[in-house]
Amino acid sequence: MRCLLRRPLLGAAFLLLVSLARADHDHGSFSVHGFGTLGAARTTSESVEFIRDISQPRGARTQWDGRVDSVLGLQANWRLTPELEAVVQGVSRYRYDRTFTPEISWAYLKYDPTPALSLRAGRLGTEFFMLADSRLVGYSYLTVRPLGDYFWYLPFYAIDGADVSMTVPVGENLLRGKLFYGISDGNIPLADKQWKIDGSPLMGGYLEYQLPSWLLRLSYANIRFHNSLPIAEDFYAIPAAKLAPAEVGPSLDYLETANTRSDYYSLGVVYDSGPWQVQFMLNHIEQGSKAFQSSSAGYVLAGYRVGSVTPYLGYSRVYSDRRGDAINWAVARVAADSRSAQGTVILGARWDVARNIALKAQWDAVRGDPSSLFPYRREQSDWTGKLDVFSMTMDFVF
Amino acid sequence: MIKRRLRLLLTSCCLFWLPASHALAELVVVVNARCGVAAMTRNEVVNIFFGRYRQFFNGREAQPVDLVDSHPDRARFYSGLVGKDLSEVNAYWSRQVFSGRMQPPYKAASPEEALKLITTYPCGIGFIELAKADARVRVVYELNP
Repeated sequence: MRCLLRRPLLGAAFLLLVSLARADHDHGSFSVHGFGTLGAARTTSESVEFIRDISQPRGARTQWDGRVDSVLGLQANWRLTPELEAVVQGVSRYRYDRTFTPEISWAYLKYDPTPALSLRAGRLGTEFFMLADSRLVGYSYLTVRPLGDYFWYLPFYAIDGADVSMTVPVGENLLRGKLFYGISDGNIPLADKQWKIDGSPLMGGYLEYQLPSWLLRLSYANIRFHNSLPIAEDFYAIPAAKLAPAEVGPSLDYLETANTRSDYYSLGVVYDSGPWQVQFMLNHIEQGSKAFQSSSAGYVLAGYRVGSVTPYLGYSRVYSDRRGDAINWAVARVAADSRSAQGTVILGARWDVARNIALKAQWDAVRGDPSSLFPYRREQSDWTGKLDVFSMTMDFVF
Repeated sequence: MIKRRLRLLLTSCCLFWLPASHALAELVVVVNARCGVAAMTRNEVVNIFFGRYRQFFNGREAQPVDLVDSHPDRARFYSGLVGKDLSEVNAYWSRQVFSGRMQPPYKAASPEEALKLITTYPCGIGFIELAKADARVRVVYELNP
């Protein structure tokens, strides 16, 4: 019932934003801006479906597919006083329920008592990793999409909560810190079901050091899952000949996610000077529940602008740690679904074709193990772990 | 025929020459003279215009004024200050705006409007041609062309 009530409301708010967008003007206390991506992606394999991150239920195969990268967002900023600002952002993208239903991604009040201190409360974007809170704004970065091996694991886009950030000058450099706490508002698609991660508390923070051309960041975040995986029904449906009924209970206990905590550690280094843009990031995710494998990932990406075209080259890699103690084959199968073991070379170019419009083309060469299943949907038994992805996007802001 | 070609050559030389001579006019960063800021380093200017830290060393809050994209001074300013194209500057701001971190500086339609705002805000800061700087503002940083 709550869900039914909520959707038309969100839709109406989105329409309101669209109509306000026509009255866009910069100067003054109210402004509406938007961002979007029209994208198409295809792969060279029919054995798996390629997705942008695990919030997407279906993905691309060998046919061109517009669902992976296409997105439209609108944001209204209303400056109430010089220190106080209200922000609402609505986003439509392919999401867990296989629709493009618009969502209110953010709605918060921002209070900046001094230029060094900023407080926000409401529905906020999460910054589990560096650049994670602008993942949907394709125009803001070089590549077609955030590098998969590093960002696939992040289905968390928003929290209902608060954050505080502070900036302290150190000579001419800056030290910045941020802390956030909130309750997740999201779902993760799992096979034909959805795992509700709403109600799960998230918290974290980071410390960042800004030099003229360098930015270094250390961050930590965690989520304590509120709900169990939607797998009980499937386990009870297994014929007794294959799995003894007495084993079902212990299996579900083993795979319990409710009240387990996952920890996210990351390090990011960005070099941005003249025509150069270089990023280097590492992360480690420690999964509290035995249903998931802990993982480590990293990437390096470099781009060099020549005129209005910026070619880029990158390499990313993700590996998860097997747990050796699965108590039966069914449990082992669930745990194997969260396995990732692969590396990806990406090569592409961004062309800033007109003011606020960028065209991008990218080739991802994924080379992994056949056991690398987590970043995909609908994997078939003939999956080899190798895949090429071709993507084209047009990103814009207004 | 040869005359026509010569004339074409001459006009195209003029077309190239005009923006070149325009680019020679030196751009400077100016601050409202009443703000009490005498000189700044490049990094301090970058911190303010990119919203990293909008406070002067004397503790007063900086109110930066930018120019619209269509004015050639904007491209000259960012290319001279950080070696960046306007598309890169705009991409940077789209990340800041849509991640809810901050709003970009207001973009004046002309250097005249920019100067007016710089002198209206108590600690207004912006960039104009050196020749346009008057007693109401103080030149705090010179961009080498």
